[in-house]
Amino acid sequence: MSTRQTGRAEEQPAEQRPAVEVTDVSHSFDGLDVLGDVSFTVPGGTVACVVGPNGSGKTTLLRLVADLLEPDAGSVTVAGDGGRRVGYLAQQPAFRRQFTVAETVGFYGSLVGDATDVDAVLDRVGLSAVADRRVDALSGGMRRLLGLAQAMVGDPSVFVLDEPATGLDPTMARHLREVIGALAADGDAVLLSTHDLHTVDRIADMVLLVDRGELVAAGPPAELLAEAGATTLDDAIETLGHGGGTVGVSPGLHGGDRA
Amino acid sequence: MSELRYVADVAEREFRTVLRTPTLLAVGLGYVVLVGGIGWLGGTGAYLALVLDLLTPVELLVPVLSFAVGYRALLGDRESGELETIRTYPIAGHWYVVGVYLGRAVVVLGLVLLSFVLAGSVVPTSDTAQLSVVASHPTADSPALYLRYALATALFALVALAIATLVSAAARSTRGGLALATGGVVALVVGLDSALLGSVSGEHVPTAVLALSPNSAYRSLVLELSVAPTGVAVPEGPTALLGTAALLAWLAASLALATRLAWR
Repeated sequence: MSTRQTGRAEEQPAEQRPAVEVTDVSHSFDGLDVLGDVSFTVPGGTVACVVGPNGSGKTTLLRLVADLLEPDAGSVTVAGDGGRRVGYLAQQPAFRRQFTVAETVGFYGSLVGDATDVDAVLDRVGLSAVADRRVDALSGGMRRLLGLAQAMVGDPSVFVLDEPATGLDPTMARHLREVIGALAADGDAVLLSTHDLHTVDRIADMVLLVDRGELVAAGPPAELLAEAGATTLDDAIETLGHGGGTVGVSPGLHGGDRA
Repeated sequence: MSELRYVADVAEREFRTVLRTPTLLAVGLGYVVLVGGIGWLGGTGAYLALVLDLLTPVELLVPVLSFAVGYRALLGDRESGELETIRTYPIAGHWYVVGVYLGRAVVVLGLVLLSFVLAGSVVPTSDTAQLSVVASHPTADSPALYLRYALATALFALVALAIATLVSAAARSTRGGLALATGGVVALVVGLDSALLGSVSGEHVPTAVLALSPNSAYRSLVLELSVAPTGVAVPEGPTALLGTAALLAWLAASLALATRLAWR
């Protein structure tokens, strides 16, 4: 039994409102269990970083929140009551190569039914200078920033970003962190997956440690450090996780990031 | 109303995508030159003769054109992952597929009609007397016959494109898409006709059965609308109404199935 709900925001500050509520969610692909009994809440104004080894179920979890998958069991509730509720950045963002950056954002803007200020969106992610450049002439990092711009279209209150920092140079990565921080400051919830603990250390209000399809730890970074008795996130994750390396698969739960 | 707006935006994007893809432009140009060339090489002074000159080549070339333009319509977005991104927007799957189809249909229709204008321009400019294969019925020849032929072909092109869109939704890789598209063209041009004829024993083939093949339905439509009115004897086939209904059914069923496959 699975459910997906959208809820009207309650009359309380964004920071206290649950923007994302995942309750007892399980998911499998072709009989292989990828996620089991995952529950957590992300309030508005929070940056939640999903970390864990490759194949642990991070991408599946994000796709469930983005409504790209239906849970086999449990429920996913995302705040919002119309329009675009979740801004999604795929792990490998791709766009039609025949179009320019501005045309691409303009097209996505047309899908949300209102006039999107393309220039403002591009300015926010730092792509104004290449607005007229074709997508096939962008670097991998710029394409990812274009993906982030696309995610902002429609002013969603929840952002789901699958490894947004991958392939970015230090300057772009810093800019990305600033943009994510600004989204959270505006009251939006940002749920992102990453292997970059440096990024987690800098921007995470909350860490969700997923390992072998289970949510093994969730909370502010300081709490995780205390719980693990560690001084670094790397050590805390090693201690709190199953310790199975990057491709570990438990007997009952088989991972697959892109499955 | 907003749904129609979404459809128009998606269609416009598809239209521009095709216009900005040199390979597709080359295929389209090749189609126009080929069909126009066949018309001009025939050098006929009669519209009816032109219809008969073009009928078989166009029956082959229209599916090739439609599949070339349509076989990657949905497959490309799925392969790149962009379809997943689009699914996070508040647009229903069926409207998206309709938009994709319409955008490419405008291109296909433009090319088909352009080729007919080019081929048809041979008649008024020809020095040949208007007596050829229809020498016994010279007065029956008329541009209206050619116009009906063009409209029937436009409908056939839309059906072929809808089937190509279905192939695009069903394929899971470029190679699979190419294989399915090739199979689709072959099935459309010869396979279905042969299968239908082979499945019916005896000398008399029910016309309703022939209408199940898009090519048969199209051919019958052309013969009934553009050839039979001149008094020329044509093989028995589905009526114009039945042929049109069969083609529309193929179009609607292909798009409906494409929506289910693309948005799963």
